[in-house]
Amino acid sequence: MAAAATMVSSAGGLLAMLNENHPALKLHALSNLNSFVDYFWPEISTSVPIIESLYEDEEFDQRQLAALLVSKVFYYLGELNDSLSYALGAGPLFDVSEDSDYVHTILAKAIDEYASLKTKAAETKVESTKVDSRLEAIVERMLDKCIVDGKNQQAIGMAIECRRLDKLEEAVIKSDNIHATINYCIDVSHSFVNRREYRREVLRLLVKVYQQLPSPDYLSICQRLMFLDEPEGVAIILEKLLRSEVEDDALLAFQIAFDLVENEHQAFLLRVRDRLPSPKPQLSATAQSGSNQPDSAQSGSAVPLQDVQMTDDTQESSSSLNLDQHDEVYAERLAKIRGILSGETSIQLTMQFLYSHNKSDLLILKTIKQSVEVRNSVCHSATIYANAIMHAGTTVDTFLRENLDWLSRATNWAKFSATAGLGVIHRGHLQQGRSLMAPYLPQGGGGGGSPYSEGGALYALGLIHANHGEGIKQFLRDSLRTTNVEVIQHGACLGLGLAALGTADDDIFEDIKNVLYTDSAVAGEAAGISLGLLMVGTASEKASELLAYAHETQHEKIIRGLALGIALTVYGREEEADTLIEQMTRDQDPILRYGGMYALALAYRGTSNNKAIRQLLHFAVSDVSDDVRRTAVLALGFVLYSDPEQTPRIVSLLSESYNPHVRYGAALAVGISCAGTGLSEAISLLEPLMSDVVDFVRQGALIAMAMVMVQTSEASDSRVGTFRRQLEKIIVDKHEDTMSKMGAILASGILDAGGRNVTIKLLSKSKHDKITAVVGLAVFSQFWYWYPLIYFVSLAFSPTAFIGLNHNLKAPKFEFLSHAKPSLFEYPKPTTVPTTTTSVKLPTAVLSTSARAKARASKKEAEKASGAEPSAVLGSGKGKAVDKDGGDAMQVDSTAEKKAEPEPCFEILTNPARVIPAQEKIIKFLEESRYIPVKSAPSGFVLLKDLRPHEPEQLSLTDAPSSTTSNAGGSSAGQPGSASAMAVDDEPAPPQPFEYTS
Amino acid sequence: MDSKITEVSQMFDRFQASFMRKDYDTCDRLLSQLKVLLTEFKSLPPLFQETPNNIRELTLARHIYEYAVILSVKIEDQDAFERDFFQLKPYYTDARSRLPPSAEEYPILGLNLLRLLVQNRIAEFHTELELLPPNALENPCIKHAVELEQSFMEGAYNCVLSARQTVPHETYVYFMDLLAKTVRDEIAGCSEKTYDSLSIKDARQMLLFSSDQELSEYIKEERTEWEIKNGFVFFQRSKESTPCKEIPSLQLINQTLSYARELERIV
Repeated sequence: MAAAATMVSSAGGLLAMLNENHPALKLHALSNLNSFVDYFWPEISTSVPIIESLYEDEEFDQRQLAALLVSKVFYYLGELNDSLSYALGAGPLFDVSEDSDYVHTILAKAIDEYASLKTKAAETKVESTKVDSRLEAIVERMLDKCIVDGKNQQAIGMAIECRRLDKLEEAVIKSDNIHATINYCIDVSHSFVNRREYRREVLRLLVKVYQQLPSPDYLSICQRLMFLDEPEGVAIILEKLLRSEVEDDALLAFQIAFDLVENEHQAFLLRVRDRLPSPKPQLSATAQSGSNQPDSAQSGSAVPLQDVQMTDDTQESSSSLNLDQHDEVYAERLAKIRGILSGETSIQLTMQFLYSHNKSDLLILKTIKQSVEVRNSVCHSATIYANAIMHAGTTVDTFLRENLDWLSRATNWAKFSATAGLGVIHRGHLQQGRSLMAPYLPQGGGGGGSPYSEGGALYALGLIHANHGEGIKQFLRDSLRTTNVEVIQHGACLGLGLAALGTADDDIFEDIKNVLYTDSAVAGEAAGISLGLLMVGTASEKASELLAYAHETQHEKIIRGLALGIALTVYGREEEADTLIEQMTRDQDPILRYGGMYALALAYRGTSNNKAIRQLLHFAVSDVSDDVRRTAVLALGFVLYSDPEQTPRIVSLLSESYNPHVRYGAALAVGISCAGTGLSEAISLLEPLMSDVVDFVRQGALIAMAMVMVQTSEASDSRVGTFRRQLEKIIVDKHEDTMSKMGAILASGILDAGGRNVTIKLLSKSKHDKITAVVGLAVFSQFWYWYPLIYFVSLAFSPTAFIGLNHNLKAPKFEFLSHAKPSLFEYPKPTTVPTTTTSVKLPTAVLSTSARAKARASKKEAEKASGAEPSAVLGSGKGKAVDKDGGDAMQVDSTAEKKAEPEPCFEILTNPARVIPAQEKIIKFLEESRYIPVKSAPSGFVLLKDLRPHEPEQLSLTDAPSSTTSNAGGSSAGQPGSASAMAVDDEPAPPQPFEYTS
Repeated sequence: MDSKITEVSQMFDRFQASFMRKDYDTCDRLLSQLKVLLTEFKSLPPLFQETPNNIRELTLARHIYEYAVILSVKIEDQDAFERDFFQLKPYYTDARSRLPPSAEEYPILGLNLLRLLVQNRIAEFHTELELLPPNALENPCIKHAVELEQSFMEGAYNCVLSARQTVPHETYVYFMDLLAKTVRDEIAGCSEKTYDSLSIKDARQMLLFSSDQELSEYIKEERTEWEIKNGFVFFQRSKESTPCKEIPSLQLINQTLSYARELERIV
């Protein structure tokens, strides 16, 4: 400082003055000390007791000054608690606006203190912890200052931290840009508010603020309302928008509905749908019957299948005659939105997209099939799993059809999973799912079919209807009740659990529980998991019932199933689940502790909650059971998936553990939390694990790597190519052990999942956790014990597509820009044809197949010889599919192949288009385009606003009408020639059933 | 500002007059008022603002505090001495460059050294000593204190006591009297370490008491843990030395081993 030269060298004189008798002298000393405290605090600190006694002297009129001085000295001594309490004593002398380290530190301390007090008060729900009013005053002063200065983000952060919702509201309302502020607020509340209850309060407040705004952001409000689980609010908003005169509002409503559907909260969506009021009583009846149509159509076994959309359209047009124009419009829109909310529209569109854009590489499968030893059943089924995963949701089962004889080697449980695999392939085929599976389903007459394929078929139905099982529930229940074969029960339980995911239906619960109480190991395990699926996230007290039974039964399998089931019930409940978690993690039985790990993982999914991480790490290193340790590490992946960058760092040490189980867990944890990100650190962590000395660690690492790299192109990370070659090497290598071979086969399945148009995503675009996906991965990670659970991974697949829709929910022709080199995001190049493909397979084919299969095989042989496309054989029903396949492939390729030597730096994509997550950042909408999106989202379902509504629309996602063959029966028959209905109902026809057993 | 200086000077004159008259009560009262008045001068420590009269003010203030120190000796108030000395000190140290040296500086510094010696605060004594310039050690007042300290440390207590006769300043007498008691405490402390017991006669001589009566009073007041029995003074009870703490080696070894095991398990 400037006066340093003339400054005193010691505070001794001033300190001595404090002992003077005259108050004026004391005051003089104090005020001088106060201004020099920054330099002389070490000297003053020895005299603190004197100053303290001055503060405590009631008669001394400058007590506050003394307190301030003591506070500063304590601050320099690092005694922040004491410092704070004296700063409070200093009252108004403590100036919050002063810009000094002392004031900043003490303020931060004060806010921390206040926040922790408020939090404690809120958590214990007792008012006894009275907050010091002086403390409150300081914090309020600070908050007011921030609000006045326009430092809204700080004010919001503090207000949230201190649980001062009143101030939060004030800060939000007074900010310049309310929308931005609210979004900030939402981000903050999601990432920093750990208590679920409190977060709800914050969101509720935000919704309130939103609704007061002159131009509310309905998209956001509805997302919040969904988080708050308030279907009424959403229904009211949707109704308002639907009734609006403006076409755009209806588009917005559809967009909201699609966004909500993306979060996969089945129970909530159903409640919203049921609450949407019908325009008039008589119309409500028709609309009701309209939306019920698919249900009834499916529950009746032989009823020809009809398209929902068609039925709705026709019935409405008839009933709307006696309604006024307004209600008619509303009714029409209502029907559409109901379709969206039930998930049918999006599932249908997704399936069309996956089907039309299917680019799976059959050659990979062929290579796998040939290199896998025939007698090795593990690899055999792994190949079947890989096929199912590769074609998940695409409805393309060419590979199976081509290799029926090979397929027939699957016996017993392998047959179970082979049949179930069809469910994965046809995932989302809601309308025709049952007819597809019909040949394998248990027949009423009880004869014939193997219980394994019947059980598998029921499981497959569940997979098809996962999370949208309204139509199939009843059938599955009946199948469950009428059988007492444990394999069928097993399949039915899994299927029912999947279909009724999270609905908490009491009747179903009873049915499954009855199976559980038969105490059969096979059926019981599935029942345990199924009960968990049914009750996902309900935290119902039925969990304790299950826990009690888990203690009672002798079967490890049942205990394990129940443990996972119980864990599923507390999904997302965070602190609410703590008692149950405590109970499970303290159990004697390692299997229940293992369930406890899952409970921790699911209750705190994606929260990055420190307490949960700490607990998991503790179990990962201290538990005596390897299973528990493995699961504890794996569970970290679930807790951290919202923050994938963190995971590799946290588990990196564990991945070098001496214990192979821990290493395996670390691999899967990275796989789960970094799934689909292609994160470089994750890949670096997994690479060494792929050449681990222990076989199952290699397996885990391969699978995890595939999960991480899904949809990452070789151009963006060269290690993808290396990995692909490594997989091929492992599969082809004769000396490689079965475990890693299986891992490699599954990995190649996952890497090319869903015809390469899906990725694994645990968070929706609005940062909600996708319940189905998380549950799917959780159950998938159980494949360690039970291979058929591998199929659960398909629940986590979400299509990476941009699907633009017009007001009729059809996909119009619409182009937009991907501002990067096409090669960066293109499909992996097809593998090259190996030299000898047909040499081995034919002779064996004839031996073990039935006459029918033989005939088919020979027909195929003939086709092969004539050099035609292999899939063209499959009868007339498939003919259409093939045409389309070829046509679409051409279309897609044309963009990719156009790039000649100098690669263009952008790419024009045509709706609907594949947009992979890494690409989303660089998607741009063209300005002169005819359509503009309602919400500028680069992927998912986006409603498009038509700027030139009078021009005729050109629809994509429709196929040439000529391809509609007789096999598409119901749907084409119902088509009344109205061009607008074309896109949706043009769904791939159900392929013919095939059999692969004698 | 000038009026203030005049006011202070006038009051200081009155203070000096009373001081001459040895009317110490009036002095004390006046001094308190003076100090309050001094707080209003911005040129004084710790602010040292450059005011037109700063030299005059500083000199005056220094003078007042010098008197305050001497007054505290006269009224035999050690606390006041310490207080006033510390307030005076900045005038000697920090204001040295801007003021002509004061005649009273070394006697007062010497007094302070003596005080520290009396209060047996040897560490502070040396700190103060180090702060003095080397030539200051030649000053008789300082030299006196330094020599006393040396004798004190050597245990030449008779030299200490005889030094009373050679005080360089009349004010020193007060502290020299007090020093005798400090010396006695030292001796008592040494003897209880050295002997288990001493005859009363020896103890009396050793502790420089003139009568047994004084000795027993001293024991009663200051050394309650001593015991007089059969014409002897026993020191044992104060010797109950606590055994030095044992190192919990076994426990430490066990802990370290368990840490090692834990580490093994984690990685």
